[in-house]
Formats: sequence, structure tokens, C-alpha cells
Amino acid sequence: MSRKFETIVSEVLEANVNGLKMSGEKMQQTLTDLGVDSLDVMLVLMEIQEKTGVMIPEDQADILQTPAQIAEFLKAND
Amino acid sequence: MNPLKFHIGIQEIATYIPQTCIDNLEQGKRFDVEESFILEKIGCRSLPRLSEGESVTSACASAYQRLLQKLPVDSQEIECIVVCTQTPDRGGIPHTSALVQAAIGASENCACFDIGLGCSGYVYSLQVVASFMQMHGMKKGLLFTCDPYSRILDADDKNTSLLFGDAATVTLLSDAPRFTSEFVRFSTRGSAADALTKQDGLMHMNGRAVFNFALTDVVKQVSEVIETSGVAKESIDLFLLHQGSRFMIENVIKKIGGIQDRSPVSLGETGNTVSSSLPILLEKVMGDSSINRLLMSGFGVGLSWATAIYSRNEESAA
Repeated sequence: MSRKFETIVSEVLEANVNGLKMSGEKMQQTLTDLGVDSLDVMLVLMEIQEKTGVMIPEDQADILQTPAQIAEFLKAND
Repeated sequence: MNPLKFHIGIQEIATYIPQTCIDNLEQGKRFDVEESFILEKIGCRSLPRLSEGESVTSACASAYQRLLQKLPVDSQEIECIVVCTQTPDRGGIPHTSALVQAAIGASENCACFDIGLGCSGYVYSLQVVASFMQMHGMKKGLLFTCDPYSRILDADDKNTSLLFGDAATVTLLSDAPRFTSEFVRFSTRGSAADALTKQDGLMHMNGRAVFNFALTDVVKQVSEVIETSGVAKESIDLFLLHQGSRFMIENVIKKIGGIQDRSPVSLGETGNTVSSSLPILLEKVMGDSSINRLLMSGFGVGLSWATAIYSRNEESAA
């Protein structure tokens, strides 16, 4: 199940962040290190919410630093 | 849904962009923000600022002077003056429109009132003024927009300091319009007021909340207006969207879909000028006879959003 969310997170990141190609290793890197800026984060989180139906509250959005953490959050709140 | 057939509409627009400007790239260095982010995401290289000696009233008067350069207007014939602002002179007492009436030498037989709306203000105010004028048999009125948010920005807040610019516009509404409204829809969500608000005298913005609002509710309203009006999307020559930030506009355009080549993004030299952003865009196409029908959507503080379809008056095109 977590794999499903990892795939969604990867796909949304690749679709919305110029030049970003995701990999298993990159799932553990911070969004900042991946070149995802603060505005990209808003767009990515919104699209992830739309695709999964899982709401990501404001306080959580600040805590989720890596793609893997986002996928874990989605899994825990699905 | 739109029973009133308007014969009062937009005849001409003029704008005043202050000469004093902030170099946004320089300002970005103070916040350690990269140039590419400022240019490609925020989209503003330069932010105009009213100088210390200027006011909403003087900026509106300057816009009016530019209007006079475009066409002759007898200020004694102006029957209605409305100022859309959330940062009125003297804290709103008296209403700024009364100060503008005096500044431009309009007659005392002139209805003056302010409208306290932000980024949705132009679409709302056009309808208010056109309706008011039409119902009272007025022939010429002026709608001003001017919201110098620079006066309420927190200099340490990069989210707002890098975004907003000052400007003023004036729209001449008359019974000889070039554009009249065909269809409009208004919305408000006061329960989300904290997304954009003034606290302790300073502007606060929840960027993510505003962004989500634009990409969901505004997109939905634009689509509903097109669908409900019965106007074919393909027959709309231009989509004018409030110029909030480059990233936001581009993504709203993308989400609406199929309008990219008809949706200008132009805030590089002005920034987000609140209720002035739409008339600044509209002024540029007033004389373009290839634009026969356009859609305008304003959205922001409130939260408040409004979308209207305007069409060129056939007599004015002749």
C-alpha cells in the first residue's frame, strides 16, 4: 500500500518540478535538496491531496520534509 | 441569472503606475531568495511604490489626468465616483471618493462612495457602479481602484514584500460603452478570512491557503460561468485573471485548460496590484478590435472571488 503512495508522490513531483527525475534514493532526500521550492511544495501537496483524497493539514505540511515522509503520512491517514 | 441588460459599461480606462520602484531582485537578496525564483515564480522584477507625498487620492487624480489625455471628459458631467480600496486615505474618514471628487473638480451633484474589496474588487465594483448608474439614469461615472498595500506590508515578511505593487486606475463608465457585461457570478467565503488579513496593522498571508483557493474555487467558478452563461469557451477572445503571482496564474490557466494562448501573464513591472491588476490588463486591449468578448476573474481577500464575461458593444465597434 505504501508503494502506491510512493508512486503517486514520485509522479506528482516529476510532473510539477522542472527536470526532476525521481528514484528510490531520492525518496529519502529533503524536498529542498531535490530542488523543490516553497511554491512547488504547495502545488505538489495539492495535487497529491486531489489524487489520494487524503487531506494534508497546514501543520503537517511544514513537517513533511522528504517524499518518503509524505508517502508515509498518506499511508497512515488513508 | 443576469436579468439586467446593461447599457452602461466600460468606455475607457487609464492607469497610474508610480515612478518610484523597488528593485525586486535587490530586495530578494535581503531575504536570500534566488533571482530565478523571483522572476519565474513570483514574476515581478520591479515593484512600484507610492512616494511618501502621495496618497490614494493623489494617485487616483493622477490616473484621472491620464484619462483626460486619452479623451475629453468634463468633470462637471461626472455623476458618480466610486473608489475601490482597502487602504483608504485618513483611515476611511471621510470616504476617499469624496476626496477624489474634490481633487478632480467634479460637481457636487455627484454620488460618491467607496467599496472595500481587494483583488475581487474590480469585477464586483464594475457591476455595482454600472447597476447604480443605470438604475438612476446616470450617464457618466468613474470607478477608481487603488490599494497601496506597501503601506501595510511587514518589511520582514518575504511572502508579501516581494509580491505587492502600488498602482491606481480609473475606468470611465458611460452610456457609450465599448464593453458591457453579459454574465457574472460572485462568491465569498468569510470563514477563510484569515488566509489574507490585516493584523496589528500589517498584512498577513497564508500562501498555501490562497494558492489552494485559486486553483480550486476560482478555476471552478470560471468553468461554471462559461457553462452557465451558455457562452462557448472558444468564443471568448481573452481571459483576464487577477495577477496574483506568476506561479499562481500559470497554474490557474493550466487547470482551466485550453486558454493558455488567450491568457496574459503580465506583472513583471507592477507586481500584484490588488484591485488594479485587471483594469491594468484591460486597458491594453480596449482598442484591440479583435477582442470582442472577454472574461475577467478577480479573487483574493475575503476570501472573495468574482468572474464576469464582457462583450464589445457593436455600436462602439462600428
